[in-house]
Amino acid sequence: MRFLLFSFIALLLAPAAFAGGAVEVEKHDWDFQGLPKEWDKDQLYRGYAVATQVCMTCHGMKYINHRQLMDVGFTEAEVKAMAAELNMSINDKLVSGLEPEDAKELYGKEVPDLSLINKARAGLADYTYAVLVGYSEDPDEIHHALPDGVPEGAYYNRAFPGHAIAMPSPLTGPDLVEYHDETEASIEQMAKDVTYFLQWTAEPELLERKKLGVYVLLYLLIFTVLAYLTKRAIWRDVH
Amino acid sequence: MANIPPKKVEEDIIRQPYRWLEDRLPIISFIDNAVGRGYLAPKNLNYLWNFGSLAGIALVIQILTGLFLAMHYKADVNLAFDSVQHIMRDVQGGWLIRNLHMVGASFFFIVVYAHIARGLYYGSYKKPREVLWWFGIVIFLIMMATAFLGYVLPWGQMSFWGATVITNLLSVIPFIGDDVVIWLWGGYSVGDPTLTRFYALHFLLPFVIVGLVVIHIWALHMHGSNNPTGIDLKKKSEAIPFHPYYTIKDVFGLGVYLIPFCFMVFYLPEALGHTDNYIPADPMVTPAHIVPEWYFLPFYAILRAIPIKELGVVAMFGSILILFILPWLDRSPVRSARYRPWFRQMVYIFIASVFALGYLGSQPPEGIYVIMSQFFTAVYFGFFLLLPLVAKLETPKPLPKEIT
Ligand code: HEC
Ligand code: HEM
Repeated sequence: MRFLLFSFIALLLAPAAFAGGAVEVEKHDWDFQGLPKEWDKDQLYRGYAVATQVCMTCHGMKYINHRQLMDVGFTEAEVKAMAAELNMSINDKLVSGLEPEDAKELYGKEVPDLSLINKARAGLADYTYAVLVGYSEDPDEIHHALPDGVPEGAYYNRAFPGHAIAMPSPLTGPDLVEYHDETEASIEQMAKDVTYFLQWTAEPELLERKKLGVYVLLYLLIFTVLAYLTKRAIWRDVH
Repeated sequence: MANIPPKKVEEDIIRQPYRWLEDRLPIISFIDNAVGRGYLAPKNLNYLWNFGSLAGIALVIQILTGLFLAMHYKADVNLAFDSVQHIMRDVQGGWLIRNLHMVGASFFFIVVYAHIARGLYYGSYKKPREVLWWFGIVIFLIMMATAFLGYVLPWGQMSFWGATVITNLLSVIPFIGDDVVIWLWGGYSVGDPTLTRFYALHFLLPFVIVGLVVIHIWALHMHGSNNPTGIDLKKKSEAIPFHPYYTIKDVFGLGVYLIPFCFMVFYLPEALGHTDNYIPADPMVTPAHIVPEWYFLPFYAILRAIPIKELGVVAMFGSILILFILPWLDRSPVRSARYRPWFRQMVYIFIASVFALGYLGSQPPEGIYVIMSQFFTAVYFGFFLLLPLVAKLETPKPLPKEIT
């Protein structure tokens, strides 16, 4: 029994150990946590608007095309119209018009593809959100974090490791996009929506996975109880 | 040709299919003798004896899921990362297969570590089971190689840099080290030739493990299972047939195993991995911390505890290889720690030191962490070095007359 206990302690320790070294970011309650039945189509649409109209100037989401949006409730007519709006076919991947070499030239850094970004940083979705709302012009705060000043071509950001990010604040003010559902496009709202969208691009299987998990675990629970009862019955005569 | 004089051979395949087959290829009785009614096991085995069969099942899960991954994976530095995303997004059930394989590797190690700890605690490595113990260690070594190679395949940042750091260790081999590393890489750095050969080996080695498992079980059958008292069975009534008693117990154990396993597969598939591995490999950008998978951390800590690189590598490999001579280090005639008060405490301290090293392996190699790593490395090896002495000085508790 003690060994089992040890194994579980190991399981608990391992992720805690990896968390070391990362910038602490504030945790939020996201709608994709827990066991939601489906992706919130409206929020996806809002996040899509921010992603394609703001972020795609510089970033691609190369694992995503418009056709995949049909898996989360958009009709074919809708995705065709959305793609046409961007001069794309529904099978075109969401790549930025900005070539990677030009981007490197412009910003001195790789501009990462965003499809997987919510899985590729410690802090996950909370981190993406924290970067987007992590800009500040407050001289005291900046001086405190970067006593030597913000390096050339970089911007102060609270969440980014090292606090000097090459990305100029993408969400400079409210109403950068016009939402289809009259939600007010505040900076926080846009950051939240695009982070939600990027969670879908990172793990489109997320909700299906969690749903299937419930059935699998229920099945295993019953299986295990029956196996235990059978074991007891068979072992009854062993002393 | 060792022809046995002809007996009466069963002719009637319709009425006596079992006899008929048995007279031609006795495969059913072979299996029955291996893990069925024909194999007698002590009746007092506790749940720690479940980990052996669980390890076998974990291996089968890896092979089956690995086979399906292999149908879609592309071992090419320009395609590997994308092909894993193709599996996750486009392949029917691909995400499930990959999560099973990824979490399966971790759980395989949990099971095997528990299995080894069981052997340690109950003295299963002692006479006459030394060769059985040896094959177990060989399996463990090849399993570590397999997991290391597999982790390179998704070609993320940790794949690339983990491969670079670990293969570089071989450069400490005197005179030929650098050439060995270049030979291993198939170039002057980890690159496309490295990835393709790692894939070939990652595909092959699990089947080598299957062969070794067969030998492992063969050796087991020579003297049968050890048991929690560590004493040999004296009466027929102390043993029960493996089937149905231990088969049903193993089925129950499998359920208990699959629940946390599937919980991880469906709800925390990435928790034991590293986020950096979702960044495509980039030879120009070194990650802030290069950490191996959790199951290597204790050995990684030993490696980094020792300031001289060559010695560190020797200590790291030595920490596993020393298990080979364990049966001769521990000369106590008593197997089970139950009846060995000193040894029992030592095993607990030893296991605690492995956990401590695991934690330290995940931390940056600086300051107090280095000192603590050195301390626990000393505890780790101290365990083995003290064994001959303890065997002499310790007074074992009286052994029971029969198994309990
Ligand atoms: C003007 C070009 C530009 C726009 C528009 C832009 N980004 Fe960026 N982004 C960059 C650059 C350049 C980097 C690399 C920053 C670095 O490594 O210092 C970056 C990096 C990032 C990172 C990764 C930070 C890290 O930890 O490495 C995230 C997350 C991100 N952007 C999200 C977004 C989102 C979401 C949007 C849309 C709301 C967006 N970006 C719009 C240029 C841009
Ligand atoms: C001892 C058994 C095995 C172990 C411990 C093991 C371990 C691993 C690990 C740790 C990974 C990386 C997972 C990730 O982070 O993505 C991996 C990937 C992979 N393995 Fe295995 N594996 C085993 C058997 C096999 C077998 C038998 C095959 C093929 C028949 C196979 C095929 C693959 C493939 C194609 C990948 C790349 C896809 C991916 O990374 O998800 N594995 N393996």
